[in-house]
Amino acid sequence: MAEVEETLKRIQGQKGVQGIIIVNAEGIPIKTTLDNSSTVQYAGLIHQLVMKARTTVRDIDPQNDLTFLRVRSKKNEIMIAPDKDYFLIVIQNPSD
Amino acid sequence: MSTTRAKPKKPTLKVTPSSRVMNVSTSGVLRVNHSSTYARSINASVSRKSFSLAADSKILDKSSVQTPKHTVQVFDENGKDVTPQPLYQPDPAAVMSKHSKIFASDTSGGTMSDFYSTAYQTTTNASFAGPFTRSVFGSSTVSRGSQSTMESMNEEIEDPSSKRDISISLSDVQVRREEVKELIKEEMLDDVVDRYLIESETLWLLHMPAVSVSVDSEEAESVKERNNLYMELCKNRMGNDKYVERSMQTFNGAPKTKEVQSEAITMVDAATTATTWDMYDSFRSAGLGEAALSPDTDKASVPEIVSNHRLDPTRAPERTMSVISTTSIASASSSRIEIEPFVVPSEDEPDPELVLQSEKFQQDLFVMERIILENIYQPKLAAYRQLPTLEDPDSVPKVVPTVVSRREESSLDEESTLTPALERLWSFSCELTSGHNVSSMAWNKRNPDLLAVGYGQFDFKDQKSGLICCWSLKNPTWPERVFTCESGVTTLDFSASNASQLAVGMHDGSIATYNVESREKTPVIDSSDCAHKHTSPVWQVRWIDHERGASGEDKGETLISVSADGRISKWFLRKGLDCIDLMKLKRTRNEKDKKQVGDKEKKSEALISRQAPGLCFDFHPTDSNIYIAGTEEGHIHKCSCSYNEQFLETYIAHKGPLYRITWSPFCSDVFLSCSSDWTIQLWRQDLFTPVLGFTSTQSAVYDVMWSPKWATVFGAVNEGRVEIWDLGASIQHFHHALVPLPSLDPTIVSLASPGVKLTSLLFATETDCILVGDSDGQVSIYQLKNLTVGEGTQVAALEDIIGSTLASQL
Repeated sequence: MAEVEETLKRIQGQKGVQGIIIVNAEGIPIKTTLDNSSTVQYAGLIHQLVMKARTTVRDIDPQNDLTFLRVRSKKNEIMIAPDKDYFLIVIQNPSD
Repeated sequence: MSTTRAKPKKPTLKVTPSSRVMNVSTSGVLRVNHSSTYARSINASVSRKSFSLAADSKILDKSSVQTPKHTVQVFDENGKDVTPQPLYQPDPAAVMSKHSKIFASDTSGGTMSDFYSTAYQTTTNASFAGPFTRSVFGSSTVSRGSQSTMESMNEEIEDPSSKRDISISLSDVQVRREEVKELIKEEMLDDVVDRYLIESETLWLLHMPAVSVSVDSEEAESVKERNNLYMELCKNRMGNDKYVERSMQTFNGAPKTKEVQSEAITMVDAATTATTWDMYDSFRSAGLGEAALSPDTDKASVPEIVSNHRLDPTRAPERTMSVISTTSIASASSSRIEIEPFVVPSEDEPDPELVLQSEKFQQDLFVMERIILENIYQPKLAAYRQLPTLEDPDSVPKVVPTVVSRREESSLDEESTLTPALERLWSFSCELTSGHNVSSMAWNKRNPDLLAVGYGQFDFKDQKSGLICCWSLKNPTWPERVFTCESGVTTLDFSASNASQLAVGMHDGSIATYNVESREKTPVIDSSDCAHKHTSPVWQVRWIDHERGASGEDKGETLISVSADGRISKWFLRKGLDCIDLMKLKRTRNEKDKKQVGDKEKKSEALISRQAPGLCFDFHPTDSNIYIAGTEEGHIHKCSCSYNEQFLETYIAHKGPLYRITWSPFCSDVFLSCSSDWTIQLWRQDLFTPVLGFTSTQSAVYDVMWSPKWATVFGAVNEGRVEIWDLGASIQHFHHALVPLPSLDPTIVSLASPGVKLTSLLFATETDCILVGDSDGQVSIYQLKNLTVGEGTQVAALEDIIGSTLASQL
């Protein structure tokens, strides 16, 4: 547990990291470093995106599964590690 | 007309005996009810409209009609009795006495079954049944009598009361049907029952008399006459007084609106999405064999499988409760799955804390961290791996481009990039390591991205606890593994045969091996219990691969160490870690000094130990029996594993302790040595004086290493700077001048940050980068830029240089 906390702290302290959100399977944020409204917004939208991405991957080959998703945009990059119990979402702006 | 299908009629014949029984049973009930509705009421559902039943006219008492019982039997081609069981089986134990009333012996089976079927539909409304029964009976009798008129039907109508009773009692009978049938079935299973096939009576279901008559028939005349009469009548009707038209008005009942309210039917929308992976998942959960799991089988059996996936509205969409009802599956597993409702249980909500603590989460965090760092360090890492760096198109362009790829040379930078230089890429450091002195670094033999760094003080004073960190290139901000040791780490080396084994030598003389794969913090083996362990700091450990087993020992890797107590030891695992001495480094006195320092020598004989502290050693790259060792006295001894008493050779040139000695990886008889006397010497193993010496500054040279890529390049680190020497470049001028060389200049010099001493150097194997460790705990990565050495490994060049140098010395 302490290791997890440490790692989270380190990630938060890395250059350009804007926020970390951990969402459980139902879409309820468990842990977040952003404000509430952004968290809820991110959680909801990303949930749908991940579902779509996962369906896409698995429709093509049912034995395959989604392991990581990165969305690079102009201003930042959203990195999502999905799992069946949770989503780990990190928003980073690497050029900051 | 007679029905041609005799078979269905058969069972009814069988029933006849029992029908009589039924008669008897019902007869008792007959007297009870006297419904008055039997006479006229005809139920709308009765399709026998043609029957107009007269009242009680001519009710025949059929009691007299007694025909012998006929039983019908049906046999199929195998001789099996497949007689259809009657729908109603009255109690066979009942006495069959009076046969009167309802059922004649030759009641057709159809009538019976019809009767029964209609009877089952009835309620206990006798009136309903009344006309039915009559019609049924009427039909039966008609067929018998071969008369198709209604009168005959009516004639045969029997005692209404009996009929009524039957209809009523049928509802009771209905209940008893099941059990009676059961009894008979069991009893009669093995019996051979005789069945007789006879033609049944004709059933009149509908009789619509024709409305027109043929001209040729005998009735034509009468019909014509009647028609004419009628036409006359119609004509006369117009002005006739006999016929008066009158209109009437009827009172319509006042309508009343009545409202009825019922509860709304709740509708639930159920949506199903059957995706390929959903079906695959359901199959897997249902425990199908592997054959069915292949996507081909999935697709093939899609049309045959009916699977409903109902989205549970209360849960997130990805948790579906799958209800599979498979009717037929045409696949290898079809036999196993019969119709079974199957529900995939959706798991309970995992505790948020559990989520955070799960292994998978830690793994994901780990990967995420690396990815974030990759984003940050991407240009640097790309430069390290000699990939073209990608400019971020959206990032705000900085004033000074920080990364200049080798291939993209803008005009501005052209001048600056032509001179060889070291470019600092990044450094491995974290708060754990700050303040510790980097004493040694080693690459992992199998994973070129993994670096082990040992932290420990060289001096005997301010000894802190040592630290070993395993860094990965993918994460420069935090080490992958951290091991703390009791005393400072002075040296480490990765094993080649067992890539996760790391040997560590420490300042208190102990040697330990760690397994870097596991997350344990303790060493695998420790030499602290060994009887022959070193008593002074271990200055170097190395895993050596012996190709030829010496003195019958098995081949493989052994750990060799040299320490300040003057011993070079070979360690092996026997019952615990144990070592034997390969060599004891005796103090050798210089011949020259001996003569000069005559008597004084005697005084100086009182040495603390007869052994010279060994500081470094290196095994020959091709011949693993030969090695050279450097001592604190400045002597280099060439030794062999076969002789542990004497040195093969001794090279004396340095005036201070030798910190590093290393064979050239390309030229097998050339080695380099560096010492605290500010010099680096290049030797050839057959010459007792160094071929070349290099001095740059007046500070002790802590580390020197040959470049793994070019034979003429080596790097050295002294207190204040890191230098890259390229013999090929700097000697060019000398070559032509044929002048004994003064001091050569290093090709590249990079200064350390003020206050920080550089202590160790390591070349990267695949790329043109060097790692420099300093006394502040930082390991910096520098990239060699624009070091134009020429093609190939320059072995020939090195040999040329040596040759020419020697030639010039003669």
